Amino acid sequence: MRVEISYKFIIGFLVVVASGVVVNLVVPFLQIAPEFQQIFTITCSLVVGLVFGSVFSRAFTANIRRLTTAAARISRGDLAEDVRISESRFPDETSDLASAMNQIQQSLRGLVGEIRNLSFKVASSAQSLSGTSMQVSASAQEVAGTVDQISKGAETQAEMVEESNRRFKEMAVSINLVAAAAAKLVHAANQTVETARSGGALADASLGSIRQVLAEVESSGQQMVSFVARLQQIGTFVEVINGIAQKTNLLALNATIEASRAGEYGRGFAVVADEIRKLADSSTTSADEITRLVATIRSEGERVQSSMAHVIEEMESGREAVDRTGQAFTTITQHAEGTRVKATSIAELAEQQISEAERITRAIDEIDKVVSDNAAATEEVSAATQEQSASMEELSQAAKSLSVLSESMLNIVKQFKLVEKSRD
Amino acid sequence: MALTLLFSLGELSYGLEIDAIQEIVEDQVLHYVPGACGVLTGAINFHGRVLPVIDLPALLGFPEAKRSARWLVLSPAQNSLVLTVSEVKRIVALDLSTLQRPPASLAGKAVRGVIEHDSQQINLFDTLAICAQLEDLQP
Repeated sequence: MRVEISYKFIIGFLVVVASGVVVNLVVPFLQIAPEFQQIFTITCSLVVGLVFGSVFSRAFTANIRRLTTAAARISRGDLAEDVRISESRFPDETSDLASAMNQIQQSLRGLVGEIRNLSFKVASSAQSLSGTSMQVSASAQEVAGTVDQISKGAETQAEMVEESNRRFKEMAVSINLVAAAAAKLVHAANQTVETARSGGALADASLGSIRQVLAEVESSGQQMVSFVARLQQIGTFVEVINGIAQKTNLLALNATIEASRAGEYGRGFAVVADEIRKLADSSTTSADEITRLVATIRSEGERVQSSMAHVIEEMESGREAVDRTGQAFTTITQHAEGTRVKATSIAELAEQQISEAERITRAIDEIDKVVSDNAAATEEVSAATQEQSASMEELSQAAKSLSVLSESMLNIVKQFKLVEKSRD
Repeated sequence: MALTLLFSLGELSYGLEIDAIQEIVEDQVLHYVPGACGVLTGAINFHGRVLPVIDLPALLGFPEAKRSARWLVLSPAQNSLVLTVSEVKRIVALDLSTLQRPPASLAGKAVRGVIEHDSQQINLFDTLAICAQLEDLQP
């Protein structure tokens, strides 16, 4: 049953008063001299008061002392023990105080433990932060080196891009040349086709002319054959004339012989016979000449015929040659057509290549810009990395001081004793 | 001056007075004579008379010489003979007063004498010598 101290005082006072009253009432019954009766009563009351007061105050002061001791202990930072006061049937404010102090101690213990844990954590975090910052710093150094390399690489890249650009421009020039050459080739192929066509037409015309000439030569040959046949007829006529002349000659000879036999009468006849002989002789001579002429003409005609045959052969071969020439012109035309088609496709491809090369050149220009931007960005990254490195240094320093701070905080917190040494 | 018929036997030129010639014939039908000797080529029918044809080049030692289609029919006053020659030429007038004796090289070639005509040597034909040679051939 809880009794407040003030009630306890009142009760004590009441007990003292009551004891005085009781003693006063009891005293007459005690064979105590009346003059001592007062004293006795007072004494009894005093005794009761003293006993009661001493018991009461002793318990009270003991509790207060314990509380004071506990407060001193708490103030020293010893939070290991709970505040204990003697068990009382009538707890009062001291036990409230004790439990409040116990609550304070509990809270402090939790707080200090928390602080200690946190300090530990902070210390380890600071340590790891320091390590991390070192690592980050190292990484930043590496990044700086890499960025430096990237920067150098970007320079090389820029040079190469420039080189590529130059090469591509040269290539574009070459492609232009190719396109021009292909265009010329197309033109030349066109001209070749035209020339070959006109050549083919000429060959056809030549073939026609040769055929005409051949036909004429062949008809001339026919005429020559009939001419030679006529010559042969002339030969037979001449032979007939020759025979007649021979006969006439014989007749003249015999007439001369007859005239001679007739003597004087035959003299005139002999002259006639001689004239006839002379005529026959001149006939023979003329016939011989005609024969010779015919022979000459015939051999000439044969020569003409053979040369005509030769000419025909040559013309035949000429016709074949012209035929072949015509075919060759046809082939040339076909080839030139093929060449023109190919050259046209080359020209078209070259045009496409030119546009492609222009596109590539533009792309390379853009790459050039990107590379320049990259270089600038790389420099910025380098600067940022250096700043980061510096920041990391600062961070590392801060982490170190934080570590130191957490150490000192731990030291401070260590002054608090949370549990018994044996359990520590 | 005497009219003489010029003919040739092989390479040699001969002349024969036309008085000794009956006629010059040509393309006559030659009849085979059985049992005749080599120089008797055959026989012809000349105006109803059968005349022997003598191969004169063969007889006078020109067996390789050509034979003319014209044959000489000698006058009957001389001999009834037909002579083949190499070639019958023409009738010329020869001055027989310039006749010379034939050289020894022409012995047996029926040459009566040699005469110059148009810078050419003409051997005058000897019909009697032929007759004598033919008679010598008789078996």
